[in-house]
Amino acid sequence: MTATLFIQSLLAGITNGFVYGLIGLGISVIYRGTRVVNAMQGDFSLVAGIVLYLCSEHLGYPILPSFLAGVLAGAVVGWTVEIFFVRPTRRRGGNEESFLLVTLGGAFAASAAALLFFGRDSRPIRGLGGDNLLDVFDATIRVHAVWLIALSIAVVVALRLFYTRATIGKAIMAASIDPDGATIIGINVPMMRTLTFVLGGAVGGIAGVLISPLITVNYEMGLLLTLKGFTAAIIGTLGNPFGAVAGGLMLGIVEALAIVFVSSGYKDVISMTFLILIMIAVPNGIFARRGRAGG
Amino acid sequence: MAAAGVLALAVIPLLASREVVDLLVFTALYSIAGIGVTFLLGQCGIISLAENVFYGIGAYATAYVTTALGWHWLVALVIGMAIGGAVATILAWPVLRLSGHFLALATLALATIGHVLFLEWDWITGGTLGIGGVAQISFFGCVLNTPQRFYYLAWIVVGIVFWLYSNLLDSRAGCAMRAMRDRPDAAMVLGIDIHQLKVKVFVLSAMVGSLAGSLFASYVTFVSVDSFGIERAVSFLLIAVVGGAQTIIGTIFGAAFVTLAPNLLSRLGDVHPLLFALALVLTVIFLPQGIGGFLQQQIRRLFELSRLGGDA
Repeated sequence: MTATLFIQSLLAGITNGFVYGLIGLGISVIYRGTRVVNAMQGDFSLVAGIVLYLCSEHLGYPILPSFLAGVLAGAVVGWTVEIFFVRPTRRRGGNEESFLLVTLGGAFAASAAALLFFGRDSRPIRGLGGDNLLDVFDATIRVHAVWLIALSIAVVVALRLFYTRATIGKAIMAASIDPDGATIIGINVPMMRTLTFVLGGAVGGIAGVLISPLITVNYEMGLLLTLKGFTAAIIGTLGNPFGAVAGGLMLGIVEALAIVFVSSGYKDVISMTFLILIMIAVPNGIFARRGRAGG
Repeated sequence: MAAAGVLALAVIPLLASREVVDLLVFTALYSIAGIGVTFLLGQCGIISLAENVFYGIGAYATAYVTTALGWHWLVALVIGMAIGGAVATILAWPVLRLSGHFLALATLALATIGHVLFLEWDWITGGTLGIGGVAQISFFGCVLNTPQRFYYLAWIVVGIVFWLYSNLLDSRAGCAMRAMRDRPDAAMVLGIDIHQLKVKVFVLSAMVGSLAGSLFASYVTFVSVDSFGIERAVSFLLIAVVGGAQTIIGTIFGAAFVTLAPNLLSRLGDVHPLLFALALVLTVIFLPQGIGGFLQQQIRRLFELSRLGGDA
């Protein structure tokens, strides 16, 4: 075991960690605003990745507008899901499980639609900074991965400001914590829930356009991303955006160490065991405030 | 009405094509595994996505014991159920301390772990290549080697398992479960050991899951890791949701939906997975009690109408 190899796998782990964190971020945003566990968060990213591919590789647009188109697509899917799936379920008195299942159905639908219109192949996408590499102590990391890390942190900071400073962010929190009270003071609660999904979709879109160049777009990628993102969000306390990224980072590093010290075949066994142990030992995640469940 | 249903089930294989009978055998197998998940969800409020693990344990136990050791299929089936139950006990004891989303995610994590281990422990499971030549079930020299023959065994097992489960539902333990699901605090005050009861139901669902897995292995005579992935766990959960988690008989409708719908829709071409997913979404939104719950409601309404008519 050389130091270079170790650093290399640690860098891969950190990059993956931010990928999981970005997905977890979207799950946290939606949970925070609506108390819905969104099982199709990874599929928001899938759609964004496909739109990015179509714009930048197929139509040959420059990279920045293509990225924006991807993020916009994520937001539109989030809006659609809220209006057509989540809202009718809520109106008919759905419980926690119904929301989970309805979004799970949405995840299958998105994946099936991607298969139908996009095909079975994995598509590679150019990233920010092309395929250039950076040297870190003899190990290498893609320039795009550095962008991914920087932008993830930017998104976390932006969300933090949004929830604490912006009126609409505060309104979203009010609508989530006390819907009746929020209605009385004139907050349009259903609108806030829709906005939450638009925001979650946009975060999923950002995740999608940042992840796709690293892992290639494939119609099956959504569910596994959701699972890993959910893990990240739970480790870092569901509903806490900063926690989701920290949880993702922990998960990514655990996986990297598992690959180095055990074998790559057992990567998922170790990360999933880690998840179960965390949930049993620290049920509210590592950033829970004492005596309160969730964010 | 139940008698008519049983009669219809008994006559179908004489009339229907081999392909249809094959689908109905799978409906039976999925009903057996599905009832475990349905009962967990409907009576205990536990979302289990780990049923694929126990289905796999049953199937691999039968495959390994009948091919590598050459033992009788019945011994293999019992060994499978014993291993399934033992593994479930060890896993459920810590994991069932969790509840709600966390428990659902934990079982999904177990499903992932199970799938990876089925793939990696290829000295026992054959990995991606799988195990072929699994012994078929035979009774007194009559080998159940066609869908028609296997059909009757599968549905008799469904009948027995459903009968046992409906007895359990009506028993003291069933009452305790409903108390635990609806008013956990009250149940605790009444001295119900919630955790122990949950573990027992989970172990039971694992055992019927591995029973279904054993039958599956004997029926198709070939098992590979593809049959025990996350998709399988999700489809078992769908059986419970679509069929209606609070009714036992609904499981059969759920199992029929999961096996027949993709087959019927596949005639429409590549669009079928999309239609299946949308059908699922619509069911969850518009039939929150599942098909079983919906039918139960309609029948009850019919009875009430006829009684009102009689009074007037």
